[in-house]
Amino acid sequence: MSQSSLVPADYQARLPQNQLILGEPLEEERIDVDVLFVGAGPAGLAGAIQLAKLVKEDNESGNGVGEISIGVLEKAGALGEHSLSGAVLNPRPFRELFPDVSDTDLPFRTRVEKEAIYLLSPTRYRRIPTPPTMRNHGNYVASICEVVRWLGERAEEVGVDIFAGFPAGALRVEGDRVVGIRTVASGLERDGSPGSSYMPATDIAAKVTALAEGSRGLLAQSYMEWQGVASENPQIYALGVKELWETKHPLDRVIHTMGWPLPRTAFGGSFMYPLEPNLVALGLVVGLDYRDANLEVHELTQRMKLHPLFKPYLEGGELVEWGAKTIPEGGYHSIPQRRHGDGVVILGDSAGLVDVPSLKGIHYAMQSGMYAARAIFAALKNDDVTAKQLSAYDELLNDSYTVHDLYRTRNMRPAFKSGFYTGAAKAGLMTLTGGRFPGRRIDMEEDARAPRATTECEELTYDGELTFSKVDAVFKSGNVTRDTIPSHLIPGEKVGAELASFYSHMCPAAVYEEVDGQLRVNAPNCVDCKATDVLGPRWTPREGGSGPVYKRM
Amino acid sequence: MSDILTVLEQREGVVKRVSHEALAAARALADELGCEVHALVIGPPDTDVTGLGQYGADKVMTSLDEELTLYQASRYAQIAADQAMGGAYTTVILGATSLGKDLGPRIAARLGCPLTSDVTSISGVDGIVVTRPVFAGKAIYRLKITGSPSVITVRPNAVAPVAASNAGVVEEVSASDDVKPAVARTLEVRAPDNAALDVAEAAIVVAGGRGLKEAEHFKLVEGLAQALGGAVGASRAVVDAGWRPHSEQVGQTGKTVSPNLYIALGISGAIQHLAGMRTAKVIVAINKDPDAPIFKVADYGIVGDVFEVVPRLTEAIVKAREG
Amino acid sequence: MKIAVCIKRVPDTETRIKIAADGKSIDESGVKFVLNPFDEYAVEEALKLKEQSNGEVVAICLGPEAAQETLRTALAMGVDRGILLKAERLPRDPLVVARALAAELEQGGYDLALFGKLAVDDYDQAVGTIVAELLALPSVSAVTRLEITDGHATAQREVEGAVELVEFSLPAVVTAEKGLNEPRYPALRGIMLAKKKPLDIKEVELDEGGIEVLELTLPPDRKSGRIVGEGAAAVPELVEALRNEAKVF
Repeated sequence: MSQSSLVPADYQARLPQNQLILGEPLEEERIDVDVLFVGAGPAGLAGAIQLAKLVKEDNESGNGVGEISIGVLEKAGALGEHSLSGAVLNPRPFRELFPDVSDTDLPFRTRVEKEAIYLLSPTRYRRIPTPPTMRNHGNYVASICEVVRWLGERAEEVGVDIFAGFPAGALRVEGDRVVGIRTVASGLERDGSPGSSYMPATDIAAKVTALAEGSRGLLAQSYMEWQGVASENPQIYALGVKELWETKHPLDRVIHTMGWPLPRTAFGGSFMYPLEPNLVALGLVVGLDYRDANLEVHELTQRMKLHPLFKPYLEGGELVEWGAKTIPEGGYHSIPQRRHGDGVVILGDSAGLVDVPSLKGIHYAMQSGMYAARAIFAALKNDDVTAKQLSAYDELLNDSYTVHDLYRTRNMRPAFKSGFYTGAAKAGLMTLTGGRFPGRRIDMEEDARAPRATTECEELTYDGELTFSKVDAVFKSGNVTRDTIPSHLIPGEKVGAELASFYSHMCPAAVYEEVDGQLRVNAPNCVDCKATDVLGPRWTPREGGSGPVYKRM
Repeated sequence: MSDILTVLEQREGVVKRVSHEALAAARALADELGCEVHALVIGPPDTDVTGLGQYGADKVMTSLDEELTLYQASRYAQIAADQAMGGAYTTVILGATSLGKDLGPRIAARLGCPLTSDVTSISGVDGIVVTRPVFAGKAIYRLKITGSPSVITVRPNAVAPVAASNAGVVEEVSASDDVKPAVARTLEVRAPDNAALDVAEAAIVVAGGRGLKEAEHFKLVEGLAQALGGAVGASRAVVDAGWRPHSEQVGQTGKTVSPNLYIALGISGAIQHLAGMRTAKVIVAINKDPDAPIFKVADYGIVGDVFEVVPRLTEAIVKAREG
Repeated sequence: MKIAVCIKRVPDTETRIKIAADGKSIDESGVKFVLNPFDEYAVEEALKLKEQSNGEVVAICLGPEAAQETLRTALAMGVDRGILLKAERLPRDPLVVARALAAELEQGGYDLALFGKLAVDDYDQAVGTIVAELLALPSVSAVTRLEITDGHATAQREVEGAVELVEFSLPAVVTAEKGLNEPRYPALRGIMLAKKKPLDIKEVELDEGGIEVLELTLPPDRKSGRIVGEGAAAVPELVEALRNEAKVF
């Protein structure tokens, strides 16, 4: 390790709150809806569907609430194109939301029948017993892109308006109350001037705005900072790099691994799931509190594919898609103390509803949207969308299996802050004690506070067959962002060579390069994984339809 | 067996090469079907129609008039459709040029018959069967033409002209008396407004990448492009670095090019770049890294320093062109 | 002015083509369908003409049920109403397609019918021109500039290395080439309004026409190339190969 150690937080810019929280009156040329869900992921869509159903039932029973307009805003050009997950999912909320649809008609791929966990060394693998939290019997392998597209169709069927290609760029507020959002302008040139296809930002006014932006949601963060909404522990994140392969050799089980290629100072693991016997999703997830400034999640993912556990499946196959995304990993103690306010609720990943020990968040996200829908419906019925009314959402959520599950595993991820093996031992004790060990909350710091030091390591030469450079990977994400777009990333004031180099290793999409000691930003490459927002330059949304175009991630 | 009619295209009274190719396709099909190839030339009075027998025409019909110097769609269509109907031809073949892609559909509409565009091969062994690329070349159809007559346009450069010795007897045909006035009238043909050769349109593209080390060295790329009469292209890396304008960028997020010749200088060949040029007919790569991915798609490669190789290549091409 | 824009639902150009089990069509599972990019130029031109002279723009789409979505895109851009000529499958013969569209256009009393130059699935570049011939209307294909004053029009069309200038009078058919304009993106307000605009659905019966698909295949892999040599010494061999093997000059 080098002598110097670098604390990324010392160099990060703050959120540009003056651009994110806009208090001036709404434009006259605005669009009005009753309820706006920001983000067409599982949380936003499930919430919109649940709300539309409640409204419909109410109106059919006579003396109903009347017509309620429900909008869902999505930054991707089409539904699912920015959605990425493993994913093995728990079908519970689907059954609740679609009681008339049988499991076989839900948008899942294969039911998990076999699963295995391996501990990897650089050249070997050893099967280890599956911890209870990771048992997936009864769950399904699915593509979240497909799930989201399917949910979108169901939402449109019940009259929800979906606006794809329109990112939300700012909250519109009156006093402490959220009254809507402002979209992001499109068609700007690199210097920020309007180009020939310029379209200005539009205000959308809503009685209730539901922030379902996913991991590290910009407006959710901005709202919590503005309103001083804290959590016991700060939120921490992991970065996952995922690939989809068409293979020659069939895979019949869900695989998870621990150990290599991660150093002991990093937390994470890999997965390989069959969507079809010869269509395989694989990836590597690494906590962003890793200590080695040269660690690259993308490069480790490439190395991993050369391991004897993976290589036999992949040889002769073809990489069809690549993507990356962060995951909120803090768990119970990182959930914001309130997920509601005047005219606003915060859902899913934006509220940190992910359970790391079971590697799941999709069903919690949907469930949170459905609880929020009930609270919003009641608020609309009472014609009162204040925080007091919307606090019903938090009550429903706190009493639900979602928060109970997260409570049970509240200290598992924090335990791994002290290294892999001690973490594994502690996690075992936690399972045995039903989450009570060690009897207190383990403190955590933000990922960006973890100091980084540089180690020397051998570079991997990408062969273009099993392993791919970042630039090639970005191509496989389907990213066709306009090259002349203004940069949407906000670096800190002083970025030296060492920091630029750290950013270039951290970013899986080759957005950052260190050139002659300076930071070069290739903004169009960005796939909106948000790792940069956690450790480096802050992220803001670009014009609609920018970023990756995931199809079956 | 009824015969095949080939509608030829001329510019300034000279029959174009693409029409020789159409004749070759017609000749091969006629030989399989056991019928004759008749050529129809529409153009100005001084159009040179000699020697078409050597390209496979058994008979050459001409409809030449001052008024037909430029492509007048309705007039051309009527003359061609009258001949096609009058001669009871089984198939009408044209080159798939701007003119052919406009005239072909008009003839098909007037004959009330099927049209297949932009075919790359025709066979008459088991009925008329053609192949043609679709989805921007990402798939290929094999189609059987079950209707008769039919119109086929043949993609340029797909069929080589033949050296034949058919009669090529010239016969003047008069346009029918009830020619409708041209409802749309072509007034003039002129050079395009934009004189600079666009990289997306050029038949030859010479592109440079980061291997050129600095913006100044793009003179090498420009020199070679000039020697070849081609356009300059650039990789995304050099456009991002501000060495070249975005209008020259070739690749996934830049322009997609499909020239006859693409020369990549100091370009490593990221998939993003390959996506924009992989449909080029011939790809040449010069790069000092023998493992550069560009060599995997190149037809011809030289492993070497662009600063040594390119000046020599430019020199050799200037000489070759003079010779 | 009453303007018709004929549009088509096509797979997105980024689609990775997979051949369906029948060996004659593409596997449509997971394929994203969009408004044909060339038709976007046609829609934009119609909207610009309407902005100049008022009137109505009607989008007509021949396609399956799902093509309603394609029509909604055009409506969101600003088209006034849509007509879906519903047919589950389009035959390969462009004449059959053109006849169905011509029959609809004939009833509409349009001053101008706009098409995209070609559809990025079949690349036929035929339907618009055939429709014009069937209706005995003047037409210009692959137009990069269009000017209309008092029922009289001039169009510029790009041909190999030159441009043709064509004049004609309305009613007429024009097919749009890239460069004619820069299509607008649907604005949020446009998308809202589009949901409430009229969209008629008419069932149409299409015959097979005179073209039968025998098979659809993926193109053969590019044959591998060769390294002709190292350094400047390899130049003569390269020039030789380009001249005599590849025949590029």
